[in-house]
Amino acid sequence: MDDSKPTLILDNVSKSFGDFKAVSNLSLSVKGGRVFGLIGPNGAGKTTTIRMIVNITVPDSGRIELLGQPMTTALQDRIGYLPEERGLYKKMKVGEQLRFFAELKSVSGKDADERIDKWLRKLQLQDWKDKRTKELSKGMQQKVQFITAVIHDPDLLILDEPFAGLDPVNVEVMKEAIVELRRANKTIILSTHQMEIAEKLCDDVCMIYRSRKVFDGRLREIRRSFARNAVALRLEGSDGVLNDPELVASIRPVGEEFEALLAPGANPQVLLKRLVDAGVPVSKFELVEPSLHDIFIEKVREAA
Amino acid sequence: MKKLFVVIKREYIQRVRTKFFVIATILGPLMMVAFTVVPALMFRIHAGGPTRLAIVDQTGKMYTRVALEINSRQALQDEEESQGEQQPLELNSDPKRRAAQAGRALPSYYAIEQVQTDNRSIEEIRKQLDGRVATKQLDGYIVLPPNLLQTGQPEFYVRNTADLFTKGHVADAISRAVSSQRMADNKIDETLVRRMREPVHMRTFAAGASGRESKGESSFYLVFGVGLLIYMSVLLYGQLVLGAVIEEKETRIAEILFSSMRSFPLMMGKLIGVSLVALTQLTIWALTFIGISLWAAGSAIPIPHISPMILFYFGIYFLMGYFIYATVYAVVGSMVTTTQEGGQVALPVVLMLVVGFYLSFSIIRSPNSSLAFWASMFPFFSPITMLVRIVTETPPLWQILLSLGIGFATATGLIWLASRIYRVGMLMYGKKATIPEVIRWVGQS
Repeated sequence: MDDSKPTLILDNVSKSFGDFKAVSNLSLSVKGGRVFGLIGPNGAGKTTTIRMIVNITVPDSGRIELLGQPMTTALQDRIGYLPEERGLYKKMKVGEQLRFFAELKSVSGKDADERIDKWLRKLQLQDWKDKRTKELSKGMQQKVQFITAVIHDPDLLILDEPFAGLDPVNVEVMKEAIVELRRANKTIILSTHQMEIAEKLCDDVCMIYRSRKVFDGRLREIRRSFARNAVALRLEGSDGVLNDPELVASIRPVGEEFEALLAPGANPQVLLKRLVDAGVPVSKFELVEPSLHDIFIEKVREAA
Repeated sequence: MKKLFVVIKREYIQRVRTKFFVIATILGPLMMVAFTVVPALMFRIHAGGPTRLAIVDQTGKMYTRVALEINSRQALQDEEESQGEQQPLELNSDPKRRAAQAGRALPSYYAIEQVQTDNRSIEEIRKQLDGRVATKQLDGYIVLPPNLLQTGQPEFYVRNTADLFTKGHVADAISRAVSSQRMADNKIDETLVRRMREPVHMRTFAAGASGRESKGESSFYLVFGVGLLIYMSVLLYGQLVLGAVIEEKETRIAEILFSSMRSFPLMMGKLIGVSLVALTQLTIWALTFIGISLWAAGSAIPIPHISPMILFYFGIYFLMGYFIYATVYAVVGSMVTTTQEGGQVALPVVLMLVVGFYLSFSIIRSPNSSLAFWASMFPFFSPITMLVRIVTETPPLWQILLSLGIGFATATGLIWLASRIYRVGMLMYGKKATIPEVIRWVGQS
C-alpha cells in the first residue's frame, strides 16, 4: 500500500470557455509511482483538464497542486507532456529537435546529449538522429515525440492518447516504456477514450463524462464493487443445468460462448460442480469481471 | 530568461542555415545591381542606327545653327553644370526632369539633311517628305516657318511621336538656335550673356553652431533612406515573422511549447530570432555594397558628412521602426491560420509608414509645429517623422526619449498582445479568429 503524499491534487477545479463548461468541480488526487487513467469519451473534458495541469490554461476556480506546491511556470519543468495533437518541427534533424525540447525543459549541455542518445537507443531510433524529422515514418515520429516528453526525467508524465495511430509493434514498445517509467517510481497520467487500454495499464482511474467526474478510485476496487456475478462458459450441451432458475438468472450467447448471469445469492462454484457432475464437457469457465466499458455505461445511465 | 534564448537560438540557426537564406543573401545584391545597372544600360542601347531627320528651312538662314545644335552635346553639358552636379539622378523627384536627364545620358546621334525647297510649295514638300518617312528613309522632319525668329512655331513631323527624348532634344536645339540667332542679329555677345547668367551658389550654415557648413540635404536624404530601409525590411522580413508565428500553429507544436514556457518570452524569442536573421542579411548586403562601391570608385566617392550622434539616431530609429511593424505581423500571425491571409491583413498597417513619409514633407518646413510634435510621438510615424525633426531642427532631448519610449513600449505591448491572442487562439484549433473573439481572448487567462 502506498500512502505517500499525492504527486498531483486537483481541488474543485472548474473551467469554462464562454458559455461552454469544459470542466466542472473536478477533484482528484494522483499518487506517486502509479499509472492514473483519465478516461472518458471524446469531448468529456480530458484535454482541458490536462491543459490546466500543465499550466497552459488557468482554472476559473479551484486549486491545482503539484509536488505539494501550487502550480507555477517553474514547476512546468517537472512535467512531461505528450499532447494528443502531435507536432514536431518537420525540417529539424531528430537530434537537434530533441536537444531543443530538452533545453526548453532546462536540460542542456552534455547531460542533454547523453539522455538523447540513451532514449534514441531505447526506442531503436539511433540511426535516425541526423535525419530530418519529415523523413521519418509516422510511428517513428511518434516515438520521437514521446522522447520529447520524457527527456528531462519528469516526476509527472502526462500522455494524451499515446497509442493513437501506432502499429501493434510500436504499441508494445510504448507500453514497455510506460511500465518501465512506472517502475522507476514516476507518476503517469494516461488519458484515453479507449477503455481496454486503460484497463490493462492503469492502477487508478478517474472517469469523466460531460465535464463531470463520474467515478474514481483504484481500478481493482471499482471492478470488484461492480461485480455482477457473471460467468463466461464454453461447453457442449448443458443437460438442463443452466435452466435451473435457482442458479442462473439469464443467459446470452456471446460468439461461441455463453455468458450466464447468476441468480442473486448463487455460488458460481456450485454451478461448476453441477456441470461437472452432470458430465458436461467444460472447456471454459471464467468469472467475468465487469469491463470499464460496462461500468461506464451503467454509471452514465444512473446519472441520466 | 534562459528559455527565451533557447527560442532565439532555434529561430536564428534554423533560418540562417536554410538554402533559401543563402540564396536570398547572394541574389539580393545581384538583384539590386540588376535593378540599377540594367535600366541604365538599356537606356544606352540605341537600336537601329542614327535618327534621320530632315529640316525644311523656310527662314533661309537657320539650318546650319539648328543642325549644329541638334548634334551638339556641349550645350547640354553647360546646362547640367549650372544645375549643380551633386544632385544624384534617382533623388530627383520631378519625373519630367528625370526623363530629360535620362535622355541626355543617351549617346544618341542624328543624321541631318537640308531639304531644298526649289520654289516648291510647302504642301508639296511635306507630301514628298511624308512619303520618305512612310518608306522609312526618314524618321522625321522639321519645318521651320519663315517668321521663326519672331513668333513662328516650328513643326516636327515624326513617325514615332512617343519618342520623348528626340522630341525634347529637337525642341531645345531649335530654341537655343533661335535665341543665339536673335542675339547675333541684335549684336549681343553670346558668351558674355552666358557668363552674366552664371547662377549663384549659396552655402548654408546652421546658425549659432561652430560655423561648420551644414550638410542638411545629405542628412535629409538619409532620413528617406532610413524610411525606405524600414519599409523594405518590413516587407521583406514581415512575411518571415508571420511564418515563424504561424509555424507552430500549422504543426501543432504550440501545445508542447506552452507546457514548457510562457507565451510572452516565446513570442519575443521568435521576433528577436527572426530579426537577427534580418540584421545578418542586411549587414552582409551593406558590407558588400560598401565593398563594391569602394572598389569601383576607389576613394573618390563623396562620403556624406554626418555627425555620429545622428548616425546613432538613425540606427536606433531604424530598429524601433522595424520592431513596431514586425510586431504588427506577429499580431496578425497570431490571429490567422495561413501566411497568405496574414500578408493581406498586415499590408494596410504597413501603409502607415507611407503616411509618415508624406507627413515629413510638412514637418521639414515647420519642425516645431504641434503637428510635427504629435506626428513624431505617434509610434507608427515616429521612426521617420522624428528623424526628420532631428536633422532639421533637433528637438529637446526629452521629446526624443519620449518618442523612443512610446515606440518601444508599443512594440512590447504588441508582442504581449500577440502572445496573448496566440496562446488562447492556439487552443481553438484551426479556426480563424474574429475580432470580437480576439478581444475576448485577450481578457482570458
